[in-house]
Amino acid sequence: MAEATLLKPRRESFWRSRAWRRFRRNPLAIVGTLIVLFFMLVAIFAPALTADRMGRSCLRDLGVKRTEAVRVLRNPLSPKFWQATLHPPASCYKIPRKGYSPIPKHPSKKYPLGLSGGGYDILYGLIWGARSAFYVGILVIGVALLIGILIGGLTGYLGGWVDHALMRFTDAVYAFPGLVLVMVAVTIFGRSLTTIMLAIAIVSWPTYARMLRGNILKVKAQDFVDAARALGAGPLRIFFKHVLPNAIGPLIILASLDIGSIVLSVAALSFLGLGPEIGFADWGQMVNFARNWIVGPPGEPLKYWYTWVWPGLAIALFVLGWNLLGDAVRDALDPRS
Amino acid sequence: MLVYAIRRVLQLPIVLFVVSVVIVGLLQFLPPTARAAAYVKSEQQLAHIDEIIKQYNLDAPFYVQYWTWLKNALKGNLGFSRVDKKPVLEAIATRLPVSAELVLYAFLPTLLFSIWLGTLAAIHRDRFLDQLIRVLAVVFWSLPTFVLGIALVAVVYGYLKLFGIGRLPPDLIIQLAQQANAGEFRYYTGLLSLDGLLNGRLDVTLAALKHLVLPTITLILVLGAQIVRVMRSSMLDELGKDYVRTARAKGLPEKVVHYKHARRNALIPVITLAGLMFAFMLNGVVITETIFNLPGLGQWAAAAAVQLDQPSILGFALFTALIVALANIAVDVLYALVDPRIRYE
Repeated sequence: MAEATLLKPRRESFWRSRAWRRFRRNPLAIVGTLIVLFFMLVAIFAPALTADRMGRSCLRDLGVKRTEAVRVLRNPLSPKFWQATLHPPASCYKIPRKGYSPIPKHPSKKYPLGLSGGGYDILYGLIWGARSAFYVGILVIGVALLIGILIGGLTGYLGGWVDHALMRFTDAVYAFPGLVLVMVAVTIFGRSLTTIMLAIAIVSWPTYARMLRGNILKVKAQDFVDAARALGAGPLRIFFKHVLPNAIGPLIILASLDIGSIVLSVAALSFLGLGPEIGFADWGQMVNFARNWIVGPPGEPLKYWYTWVWPGLAIALFVLGWNLLGDAVRDALDPRS
Repeated sequence: MLVYAIRRVLQLPIVLFVVSVVIVGLLQFLPPTARAAAYVKSEQQLAHIDEIIKQYNLDAPFYVQYWTWLKNALKGNLGFSRVDKKPVLEAIATRLPVSAELVLYAFLPTLLFSIWLGTLAAIHRDRFLDQLIRVLAVVFWSLPTFVLGIALVAVVYGYLKLFGIGRLPPDLIIQLAQQANAGEFRYYTGLLSLDGLLNGRLDVTLAALKHLVLPTITLILVLGAQIVRVMRSSMLDELGKDYVRTARAKGLPEKVVHYKHARRNALIPVITLAGLMFAFMLNGVVITETIFNLPGLGQWAAAAAVQLDQPSILGFALFTALIVALANIAVDVLYALVDPRIRYE
């Protein structure tokens, strides 16, 4: 028994690794982590946080009466709390409206951040916007990773003309400005959250494909792959058991750090009016609601500041958090520094 | 070198061919009547939609359709822009100078400014100046273009009453239109700041520049932040190399080591990025022009996408592909000029 453990290569514990030490000592990394954690908590507990201001259809779909909403949805012992937190109905992503007045309303006791034009509750939109940001970010990265792994895996492992043809294709997609491609998709397939999520995934995979291809080429040249081949393993077994698992790790970490920039692209599209349907809790769209109120009436130029400052700040902070985190992870993993 | 450049330019039609096949191919997802809308100029024509479908072969197999599209495109008929109520090509021609002016004023300052800051950060590695530049770069890199633009509109234009939005003050636009009709003001380049000078109208130049300040700053800050980051890390890489140590050992002054040795080599990745930045600028122009109400290509494309105006968007996409391909060629040629190790066959 003792001999067997001795023969195993000693694996360095993560908590003692150089990368983790470097990460921990970087103040910007801590700031980034805290920002991302904050948004995560807001996103997860969005239903409980907004129990006092939920819209009628959201409450109906949850099966909760308005009078008992705060008591039930903020009580972790009630099953409704878990239902709302884990799988809220789609109607909860709609920002509830108080009246339909096109003029924004100043912050009040009931609506501490005010109502934007159209009577949308800004606080509700901000909180559920965090949830939709994670939802969109994770889904888009997932699809982009799938395409990237497929194409990067094929080119890296097969090589030859497949590699050549697919990489030229990858370069072409990579060089084209993403926003333009997404705009083409929206005009042809119509405006919807699914269209833009798919379109953004289709423009973001080339980075992952290139990265995976590079990693695979490195892993393929290593001795243990030759050893596996000498032992009689087939090409598929070698690829899935030996090459891919060793090449994919850093890719997944780095890809997940792109959530910030994905959310930024979606926000820009929503701001232009090409995003999800009107009323969906989405920060970019909330800035779009504010477009007519950026400059207030003569004499009070900053009268409606709260309509664009809060959602704008939310997007900027969210993206900043992810970028700080991403920089720190890349620095910590970089063997050169 | 020249041969290489010429060959690359001759490859342009292939790039455009591929892009146009993809675009016309995507249009097949729409019914023929929707495709025909691209050629409808007025409501009266809607009654004759079947004739338009026949005329442009819109219900024929894909290759026939593409062939008809190509023949028309080569004649300059890319369809009719609903947003601008004029042919797509004409819309691009009238709007291009507005965007070109913006990009012209933003591109060089972004490049110079961020190369300078990136070098500075690398030289002062881990000291206060470096930390400051790094934090500022990551903050501006994270700041969405539209949030920065809106903040500038609200605070600088709305509150401080500085600069302007739109292209010119409304009264000057009317005045210029009248004088252009009378032949007293001529649009030589379409760039108002330049045309003002050429016409001896300093007031037009000044007004045009005043209206370009905010969108230019927006583009410079957002795009510059990315280049600062690349420049810094590229410079750090170079400073760690052996030839830098040799140069220092020879007793060369630090300034010479930094600026004559390391920075020249560090600029190579920045050239690639500058080419990519051209593409990013097209993205940025869509948003800045929308916010600052500049009637350029970006504002046109944004409006067209919202109104599902396909011919305009497709025209914009083709135009973008052309620009991106040209920028890539420029990058490759510059590469060879800067780095003598690179030789193109």
